[in-house]
Amino acid sequence: MKDAGEETVTPGQVLGKGSEVKAGRGAYLSCDTVYASLTGCRSLLPPSPQSPDQRPTVEVIGHKAHGPVPEPGCVVIARVTKVMARMASADIMCVGSKSVREKFSGIIRQQDVRATEIDKVDMHSSFRPGDIVKASVISLGDARAYYLSTAQNELGVVSAESMAGGTMVPISWTEMQCPLTGQIEQRKVAKVRA
Amino acid sequence: MEASSSKFVDQLVVPGDVILDLSNLSNQTLKLGGGLRQDGDSICVMKAGKLRFMKPNKYWVESSQKRYVPSAGDNVLGVVVDTKPENFLVDIKGPAIAFLPVLSFEGGTRRNIPKFEVGTLLYVRVVSANTGMNPELSCMDANGKAAEYGILKDGYMFESSTGLSRALLSSPPHPVLEGLGKKLSFEIAVGINGRFWVNASQSSTVILVGNAIQKSESLSMVQQKIYLEKLLKSIQ
Repeated sequence: MKDAGEETVTPGQVLGKGSEVKAGRGAYLSCDTVYASLTGCRSLLPPSPQSPDQRPTVEVIGHKAHGPVPEPGCVVIARVTKVMARMASADIMCVGSKSVREKFSGIIRQQDVRATEIDKVDMHSSFRPGDIVKASVISLGDARAYYLSTAQNELGVVSAESMAGGTMVPISWTEMQCPLTGQIEQRKVAKVRA
Repeated sequence: MEASSSKFVDQLVVPGDVILDLSNLSNQTLKLGGGLRQDGDSICVMKAGKLRFMKPNKYWVESSQKRYVPSAGDNVLGVVVDTKPENFLVDIKGPAIAFLPVLSFEGGTRRNIPKFEVGTLLYVRVVSANTGMNPELSCMDANGKAAEYGILKDGYMFESSTGLSRALLSSPPHPVLEGLGKKLSFEIAVGINGRFWVNASQSSTVILVGNAIQKSESLSMVQQKIYLEKLLKSIQ
């Protein structure tokens, strides 16, 4: 369906020759041919005038089924699902300010919880299952999960429930207090700007 | 100032019983042990058992179950169920499988990792048991020495309740255990998780000791003494 120069393409469809176009988002180069890797609209971006390589860039974008995808360097909101001795697993719920359309798993390793004294980190005093954390994506990780990090002041537990069931109030970067029982629990708390 | 005792002390309590109303007591701090919970102004019971009180201000519920709740510092009997590169997976009768790191042995290095088959019985110490996480075990004491921890060879393991395990480990010693120990020679290891292991030169002794201890759980002190006398006479 040709629509003012933009057509709908499917994964595997040939978008052009490697010598004529550069592969952009949603496209990849294989043996001198650029193929699409996503479903969407094909669009051609003109090359920037300064660059020596004067090939246009072809992109595949715009299909409404695509939600945001975590990329290295972006800040995500995740819910901790499991805490183990050396790492914690989390389900990524939002990328930036947009919620994701499909399930992404993340892992926070013991050495990525905070910036100081990383070998003395106790995972149980940093996160508990059910906590909402703000983390940054360090890398795409392995096939199972992204690697996340909370090693900055603004990252860490944003919201947590105490053992009595009340939403806790942060009192320092390591402690949160339950409003119902007054008990103090340890977490790696994020510094949220007022 | 001593806390006024609840009228339920040394009696059987069930979940839901309110043992103390804090609004009646003057300004005191109470220490609540296992099985008790503070619900606003009242102290409620969470676990069925006998309420105990120790001066000046400690309350707790003593109960006996077949189920074990792991807690740091306990000595337990575990059975190896699987081997992973970093840990042995050990069943200690708790809600989750416990991890025993392969290096948690005296003088343990990557080169001399012990080889445990599935089904091996171990006497281990619980290092940490946080809710939601798998408990972590160790075959060393807090100083790093092997102490008595490690594999238990031969013999037989019997199941018991947590209450019987605590009775076997208490002092003054359990009457049946003491009486049998005077007449027969055997080795015994008791895990607070409701398991105990007996070893002797003859399997008939192992069976006798194991059955006697298991039967004695439902007998009172007097009945235990009578049972012990009958048993020892029949061995002669």
